Amino acid sequence: MEHSVTVELVDVTKYYENKCLFRNISKKLLPGECLTVTGPNGSGKSTLLKIISGLVKTSSGKINLRCNANRLISPCERAKYIGFVSPELVFYKSLTGYENIDFIAKASGMAALPEFIMASLQRVGLSGQAHEPVINYSTGMRQRLKFALLLVLNPPLWLLDEPSSNLDTAGKKLVADLIHKALTRSTSIILATNEAEEANYAHQKINLA
Amino acid sequence: MHTKKLTWPNSAWAILYKDLLCEFRTRYALGTLTMFTLVTLSGISMTLAGAAISSSIAAMLLWIILFFCAMAGLARTFVYEQEAGTLFTLRLYANGQAVLAGKLLFNILLLQLVTALLIPLFLIFLNIEVHLWGQLVYVLFFGTVGVAAVATLTAFMVSCTNAKGSLFTVITFPLLLPQFLTAIAATEQILTDMIPSWNECFFLAGYDATVIAAASLLFDYLWYD
Repeated sequence: MEHSVTVELVDVTKYYENKCLFRNISKKLLPGECLTVTGPNGSGKSTLLKIISGLVKTSSGKINLRCNANRLISPCERAKYIGFVSPELVFYKSLTGYENIDFIAKASGMAALPEFIMASLQRVGLSGQAHEPVINYSTGMRQRLKFALLLVLNPPLWLLDEPSSNLDTAGKKLVADLIHKALTRSTSIILATNEAEEANYAHQKINLA
Repeated sequence: MHTKKLTWPNSAWAILYKDLLCEFRTRYALGTLTMFTLVTLSGISMTLAGAAISSSIAAMLLWIILFFCAMAGLARTFVYEQEAGTLFTLRLYANGQAVLAGKLLFNILLLQLVTALLIPLFLIFLNIEVHLWGQLVYVLFFGTVGVAAVATLTAFMVSCTNAKGSLFTVITFPLLLPQFLTAIAATEQILTDMIPSWNECFFLAGYDATVIAAASLLFDYLWYD
């Protein structure tokens, strides 16, 4: 990771079919900080993360992502700076775990060494299933694969939507370890969660209740 | 260094390779297009029952089969990604121009493959002789590139809507009409052993270049908005 990312939310408001999900959210997240977004189901946690990723538009307000606290990152550049672990992130079922990571890395504009991809898969406990099609993976294994992708892309901003969902105890420990290490490397993390343990990483909080 | 930066043409190549790999493993689009081609051709052949048809009718039938083949299979490039949920992944990580180029190349390859399968069968089933092979290959190549280019752009547009199937054909047909009519006219001349005019040949290639340039300009607005 060569860069750090500062995230500025300026009066962000989102309406969905005339229903106000959230209104006038303003926050500034510095590199190495974690912002947790909590709230009941349907409160707009995932939508807020998608807005920050640039996949969904705000109803009003704006999101500024700044590289090294200075240069504004344009929408078409965002992919290089963001890693998103989300239930909506789906892998290609006919490709293997290794092929999926290799492809997504190349599509995002980087070629990763095969041994680096394998090391990332090993880190999340999937080295034995690296060359199996994703269709054979359990939901927990697919969740681990999302973190392997994150390790390969190594973006300076992590958006984590319910990162521990579908994971066993060892998986949850792995996620906690990855978040902890990422924060020490100045990664900015925005975490949508209802898990009390994950909410403890927060330097800042948004409650959408 | 564990990684190295790639330019967007490299990313486009990766997208093409991924689509080819998925297609090789599932054979979804190629199977659909091949079956559509064979069924349509068999239907036409049995209806004609060996009766001779004019060059204009033959040219029209050929391009109608190719058009509906494209409508049956080419929307898959984006609609399948939308239905499988992978469009989210692609939109999150991939460069818009790389996606357009990768998907366009995949659609061109697919349609060329189906055309290569269709032409010998079409000529045998309808008992047609061709002497101007070079000109026929030229018209078929540039004609199908135009179909693939328009279909790739409209496929992404309709993948974001609810009425995917019907909208795809409705939007694509008017955009393709100039290319379609020129290709039919040029094919008709080739089947009557006449060399198509330079105007027609130039129009087919020029239309492709224009559509690809317009798609490239428009696609980023669709992809990032």
